[in-house]
Amino acid sequence: MKSGYLLFFLSGRVFGVKLMGAVEIVPWRRGRYVPLSYSYVEGLIDYRGDIYPVFNLRQRLGLGKQAPIGFAAGEEQMPPREQSIILLEEGRNPFGISIDTVAKMTSLEETAPAPEKTQGLDARFIKGLAYEDNKEIILLDFERLFFHGG
Amino acid sequence: MDSGTRFLILSLEGESYAVSISRLLEITVPRDIQKEAGLTEAFEGKFEYRGKPIPVLNLKKVFKLRGNPGGVLLILKNSRGEMGMLVDAVVQIVETDKQPIPIPKGVMNPSLLPYYGGIIRHNDGLTLILKEEGLFT
Repeated sequence: MKSGYLLFFLSGRVFGVKLMGAVEIVPWRRGRYVPLSYSYVEGLIDYRGDIYPVFNLRQRLGLGKQAPIGFAAGEEQMPPREQSIILLEEGRNPFGISIDTVAKMTSLEETAPAPEKTQGLDARFIKGLAYEDNKEIILLDFERLFFHGG
Repeated sequence: MDSGTRFLILSLEGESYAVSISRLLEITVPRDIQKEAGLTEAFEGKFEYRGKPIPVLNLKKVFKLRGNPGGVLLILKNSRGEMGMLVDAVVQIVETDKQPIPIPKGVMNPSLLPYYGGIIRHNDGLTLILKEEGLFT
């Protein structure tokens, strides 16, 4: 069955976030720094009455700016570097992730679980994979990434 | 209004923090802080407050912030007694009838959460409430 996804770029890879109601995308902004927070926490932002921790997804996933050879889209296909924050919710926990840029919204069919290593990422953090126009789209497990004990 | 809803806003490396006024005994200048071997690295030493030496915490060391220890000394009380805490500056006292907002899940190791009493909104920004019980444990 197909579901709606928001696709975004990060370090040359394409990721998908399942659309569960409204998703907010805001320009990147510096969050309120919280001393002693996890290293991948950029800070807190106050948006429309809610406080969102903003997680640096690149750092959490241990990604450099570019994908490993063989996995990256060509430079000419890469979007201009531009950071945005996607505001989401996981199990009643509102949070934001900083990303390179939003690609588009689309309908995707989720496929089998990811193999042990997908595009250099730890499979524990991947919920599944989907494909569109022969491009692999990584669907992340945010619960494991951010709310599973760090 | 309960005294627990009044906060002293202070600054530390350009960011604002709050302590409950109900825990504040005095605001003074750090003078003659004596180094003491038995204290952990987070403490600058001891300060004589009303004839009694009390430990003085360097909050920047606790929070792994750069910069000098701070030019203002807050004397606070908790269940263990009095203690000092160095900050850069005190800004103002605010009153709020809003409950502090908890630190969102996923931000830090839960063992560190006792350092904070939550978040309040202040001057269009977010201010972290410091919890002296947790900081001086």
